[in-house]
Amino acid sequence: MEYWKDENEPIKMFVKLFEEGFKDADLSGGLKKVNQLIWFDYTQDGPNCSFWVDCRGGDLKTGPGKPADAPDLTMSLSADDAHRSWSNKLNPVMAITRKKIRVKGSATGLLKLAPKLKKVAELYVKVLKDEGKEGIILK
Amino acid sequence: MKANTGKIIDVDLSAGTVKVEQLPEEYYTKYIGGSGLAAKLFWERGNFDADALSPEAMLLFMNGPFAGLKLSGASRHSTAGRSPLTGGWGDSSCGGFLAPELRYAGYDGFILTGKAAQPSLLLIEDDKIEILDASEYWGQGATQVTESLKKRFGKAYRTLVIGPAGENLVRYSIILNEGHHATGRAGFGAVMGSKNLKAIVVKASKKKMELVDPERFEELRKELNPKIREALASDVLHENGTAANLIGGMYAGDVPIRNWTSNFWEEAADALTGSTLTETYLTKRGACAYCNIACKRIVEVKEGPWAIPEGPGPEYETIVSFGTLIGSIDLAATCKAGRLCNDLGIDTISTGGTIAWAMEAFEKGDLTKDDTDGVELNWGDLETVIDVILPKIAAREGKLGELLANGSVAASKKIGKGADYTVHAKGLEAPMHDPRGGGHGMALTYAVEARGACHVADPMLFAEMGARYYPEIGFEYELEPRTDENKAEAAVDMVAFGAIENSACFCQFADAEVTIPEWVELFNIVPGYEWDAEEMMRAGRRVFYLKRMINYRFGRTADDDKLTKRMLEPATDGEPEGVEINFEGMKQRFYELMKIDPEKAIPVKEVLVEYDMADEAGAVW
Ligand code: SF4
Repeated sequence: MEYWKDENEPIKMFVKLFEEGFKDADLSGGLKKVNQLIWFDYTQDGPNCSFWVDCRGGDLKTGPGKPADAPDLTMSLSADDAHRSWSNKLNPVMAITRKKIRVKGSATGLLKLAPKLKKVAELYVKVLKDEGKEGIILK
Repeated sequence: MKANTGKIIDVDLSAGTVKVEQLPEEYYTKYIGGSGLAAKLFWERGNFDADALSPEAMLLFMNGPFAGLKLSGASRHSTAGRSPLTGGWGDSSCGGFLAPELRYAGYDGFILTGKAAQPSLLLIEDDKIEILDASEYWGQGATQVTESLKKRFGKAYRTLVIGPAGENLVRYSIILNEGHHATGRAGFGAVMGSKNLKAIVVKASKKKMELVDPERFEELRKELNPKIREALASDVLHENGTAANLIGGMYAGDVPIRNWTSNFWEEAADALTGSTLTETYLTKRGACAYCNIACKRIVEVKEGPWAIPEGPGPEYETIVSFGTLIGSIDLAATCKAGRLCNDLGIDTISTGGTIAWAMEAFEKGDLTKDDTDGVELNWGDLETVIDVILPKIAAREGKLGELLANGSVAASKKIGKGADYTVHAKGLEAPMHDPRGGGHGMALTYAVEARGACHVADPMLFAEMGARYYPEIGFEYELEPRTDENKAEAAVDMVAFGAIENSACFCQFADAEVTIPEWVELFNIVPGYEWDAEEMMRAGRRVFYLKRMINYRFGRTADDDKLTKRMLEPATDGEPEGVEINFEGMKQRFYELMKIDPEKAIPVKEVLVEYDMADEAGAVW
């Protein structure tokens, strides 16, 4: 991994990113519309390298690992590409076309989030700073 | 010959004669099929001096080599000839169900010339080909005629029908298959109307096709169909239709608003996007023959001023044309307007584009009530659009109907104002993708494609999104939409690839999942073209070149490879705000890479020779 020293580090950042995102009215509103259980699967970088976001039923939750329920949508990629993606430096369509991201399940809800990616990236920078990871912020 | 039958029907409507002909195999291996084959036949036989609506004009309907295969997206057909809207080359791809039926009946296509003495229909039943009287249907809407034909001949008979607009020679009239699938662009409904041909009906008695390697095709088909269906884009298209990503397009600045005066309308994103249509008016999904993506919408608006019974629903282009483009975010109204356009037989893109232009002209005072029979043309007034303007256009009724029935370019010429805010290339109103936001490469391809501003003549739109990647031919660009970087280079491959798609009559949504080796294998195991990737790309490039040469013989030059002022002025809001398009730079580079003469806008002679087009070169050099 280029940006992370172990498999737990990215998951800590990403879970924190979503916890912060839930507090933002605009982002949480968008996530609620997605209404799916999503598993972000980075297990190619380690068996514990994954986390989930549950947007079902108007309630927002997140946590490390694989979700207890079967996910509606699984996005599999590397933890480094996930870092680029949350930094809004990875074109998701291009990454899917080039098989850098593999998607299983219905991704129609995610389209609603596409316009919010810029805002997610701003929040992500803040999380990285708060957690002492300024060094990996992508310009 | 395998897959292709090699046979076409030549119909002279003036003489009332029908002739079946065998084409040389070389026409296919050089020009593929579909719009490429149509271009070759037009080149050989077309009358370059004939007006598009004269009896001498030639109208061609051609299949691709994959028509009739149970392969998702592979059974579209192409209609081509001189466009009555633009005066130049036109071709238009149509989904639906005609192509397989025609192939099973034993034909790769048919050519129409002449003019029938009275309203007629062409009936093709295997070897039996007849021109029948159709006076009883003249004047009727496309929906009613389709229903009547199905009642008369049987449900399994496939239909192509024009509406009243085609009869009245509205220059952007469509031809409707099965009352749902449109040959939308370039105005070929008017060409049928000018020939007194109301409908074409096709039925085959068997469903048999011969392929070069049926066993290998069956194996490949079993790999391709699930791959196509399971792709993310297919899933999204199935679920929410072609407007699924309207929301993303809005934030990118790709969705035109009020005649391309704005690139951002936040409220419209949610109001018009595909998932909203799914949640509100969708009752079923529909598909073209053998396509498992099923991106078509069946809708019902139960109540309100725009109530419509269950039937064909709007695609992205219609939703934007009758939505943001004319200042509305009323989704139900777009359903109603789309349905009405189908029935009257007019292209939703050119209709919306022409009305949007007229609304701006009215706002600016370039058009007044004196020009519009007293009708006020105000942004967002869908009631007037649906109740008054659309019927007037289709009937060419009054000053307003007559003015708008010839399209925005002719209308601006007629009033001598408003050319700066027309939105077109070569006279074809632009589709609902604004290159200022959607991608600068699309500005280039809008300008250089033979038929004019078109988003499906080639896959540049998808390439700029990041959804095209063909490492086998060196297409590995990481394109940034709102710059000119690598756009001319990418366009070189994309225009050739677009020519392949439109000649093979393969749907861009489905074929996005097909890799270059799979494309080549399909051409080799189905019709047996014996190509490698290079030869396949050469065929695409050849088709692109030939269409440009046809345009040259119509009098087109490099001056016609351009966009209007409105399309190139920097956006005033949204994501592309203030960004300039380096249009001339991209065009010049594209010409250099394609070895296109900077004045004549056709390939230089040496290139034509290199592409086995020495004979064709003789007509232009
Ligand atoms: S993807 Fe849609 S338009 Fe294309 S062939 Fe399938 S149903 Fe027809």
